Amino acid sequence: MVGWPEMSETTREPDARQLATEARDRVRFEEDALALSDQVYRVARHLVGSREEAEDLMQETYARAFRSWRSFTPGTNLRAWLLRILTNLNIDRGRKQQRTPDTQPLEEGDYFLYNKLEASGDGVSDEERVVERLSQNDVVAALSEVPHDFRDVVVLVDVGDFTYADAAQILDIPIGTVMSRLHRGRRILKQAMAESAVGSEES
Amino acid sequence: MTAYDPCTHCEEMMQPYMDRVITDLERAEAEAHLDECTYCRKRYKFEEKLRQFVRQAVQHEPMPVELKTKLASLRTPLQ
Repeated sequence: MVGWPEMSETTREPDARQLATEARDRVRFEEDALALSDQVYRVARHLVGSREEAEDLMQETYARAFRSWRSFTPGTNLRAWLLRILTNLNIDRGRKQQRTPDTQPLEEGDYFLYNKLEASGDGVSDEERVVERLSQNDVVAALSEVPHDFRDVVVLVDVGDFTYADAAQILDIPIGTVMSRLHRGRRILKQAMAESAVGSEES
Repeated sequence: MTAYDPCTHCEEMMQPYMDRVITDLERAEAEAHLDECTYCRKRYKFEEKLRQFVRQAVQHEPMPVELKTKLASLRTPLQ
């Protein structure tokens, strides 16, 4: 049987004991948060336009997280909690409003990129090989062209591997909105990739 | 009223299918259609490959080491 600690001890020195527990919890929180920083950075890097902005945002996020660590419920998703702070700060920073680019007409639908890549190539139309015509830079550049509201969702789900439910909670929007923004955002991304891939071949 | 088009339906199911947020029944229906429709199969394959590619492309850039140090310095100093 597990014995209870001497109560007289706790009643005599509650403050010291509490402080020690709190310090230990805080240290653990800080270590857990730092261990996730690579993963948080990967998302941050693609939520904002530049590396410098991503670094600033990371520092603000961690400063705030360390200050308000008590509001984190242990056992819940810390990475999502950190990204909620980060996306809120990013919105507070007054990111520039962007116009949503017109997507391709519906008849071309999602296959716009495939058609472009296929048409620009040497007749190879294998759906796996055709993707190889894109470069890493095409993808990164195209992602930065996706307007923020849509990009937030695409980055959280496709880069951060968050579920729809987590993304909804992080951004404080309904799941239905996550799904529709994701769909639209991925289409805009594909369109931007098609333009940059074809553009780079023509130049 | 528009007639039911299995390819249109398959396209609508593509995102939930790839994000694995559909029911077993919906998945079975989608797979049955994919088995017999070359057009949709091609689209799904392309889409899947593209997602992998995007994921790999964006994971390329690691976090700068200096940033890691800066973040660690934001910790509450031990008393």
